[in-house]
Amino acid sequence: MYLSLIGLVLGVVMGIFLPYSIPIAYSKYMAVAILACLDSVFGGYAASLQGKFDMKIFISGFFGNALLAAGLAFIGDKLGADIYMAAVFAFGNRMFINFAIIRRYLLNK
Amino acid sequence: MKNKGFQITIAFICLILGLMLTVQFKSIKKINSGGIDKMRASELQSALSSANEKLDDAKRELASKERKIEQYQEAASKGGKLGQIIQKDINQAKMLAGLTAAQGAGIVITLNDSKVRNEQGDMNENYFVIHDSDILLVINELRASGAEAISLNDQRVIATSEIRCAGPVLSINNTRTSAPFRIKAIGNAIDMENALKMRDGVVDALQQWGIEITISKQDNMVVPGFDGALTFKYAVPFKEGGNE
Repeated sequence: MYLSLIGLVLGVVMGIFLPYSIPIAYSKYMAVAILACLDSVFGGYAASLQGKFDMKIFISGFFGNALLAAGLAFIGDKLGADIYMAAVFAFGNRMFINFAIIRRYLLNK
Repeated sequence: MKNKGFQITIAFICLILGLMLTVQFKSIKKINSGGIDKMRASELQSALSSANEKLDDAKRELASKERKIEQYQEAASKGGKLGQIIQKDINQAKMLAGLTAAQGAGIVITLNDSKVRNEQGDMNENYFVIHDSDILLVINELRASGAEAISLNDQRVIATSEIRCAGPVLSINNTRTSAPFRIKAIGNAIDMENALKMRDGVVDALQQWGIEITISKQDNMVVPGFDGALTFKYAVPFKEGGNE
């Protein structure tokens, strides 16, 4: 648990000091990718509380969902339809569900 | 959370998440604080074109100055041509001062007193005649729109010209003149006409009082030079580094 927090802080610090930033045109894709990653982390935490955490599923979900969400946003832009809304809706919805699971476990402990 | 490799993987994933988050935050902050994207494209367009115009002007001036330097150097090396070049410069200075007649394309503006009868008698008669301020407004507008030589009833308007009411007539270059007033201006005829006819501009304001204004474009006309004497009693050229 501590290691993951340290990793998060390290990532934030790295992000602050890295000179790179996302071009304006791609910031939307990055945003949905971040949403997908957040969803994976929430899902992973919920699963670990339930005792059915699977590393392979977590890793593949983390990267796969991010790529799929960004890809959907990209294709949506090309087609002129806001397909990224699907990703925003799906991951947002799932995040709330996972948060509900986490709450129940922590409160009923 | 059983073994070390497992925890390190989780930490690594969290690192990536934190990295993505901060990079995205930074990018969005940069976009929002940019300011430029909030300006309208047309504003930027006009700013760009005016900057380009200024650049072109500056380049042209630089080129002409360089040419002049070359000429001076050439003259200095030859000697004989110096007189010619000085003569040319004197002519240029005279032209600037309005001492020589100028010719070129421009516009002629004729102003005449209002013929509207002041029947009610409740309005001041003065409103319906042309005043010095009206003429000054017209001339100022002409200068603002790039007039290069201006004359009023065949009196050249120069740096020291006064335009003021002198009883029922108007005094310019210490000579008296009266309506109708013919103002000749050499310059870009379209620009000058547009400047005068601007909405709520000079022509609009004067026509409210029934003052008759006609503007005609001329392809070639002559603006007379100043024919009086120009002497400086008090002003002398300032020499840099000289006695005060």
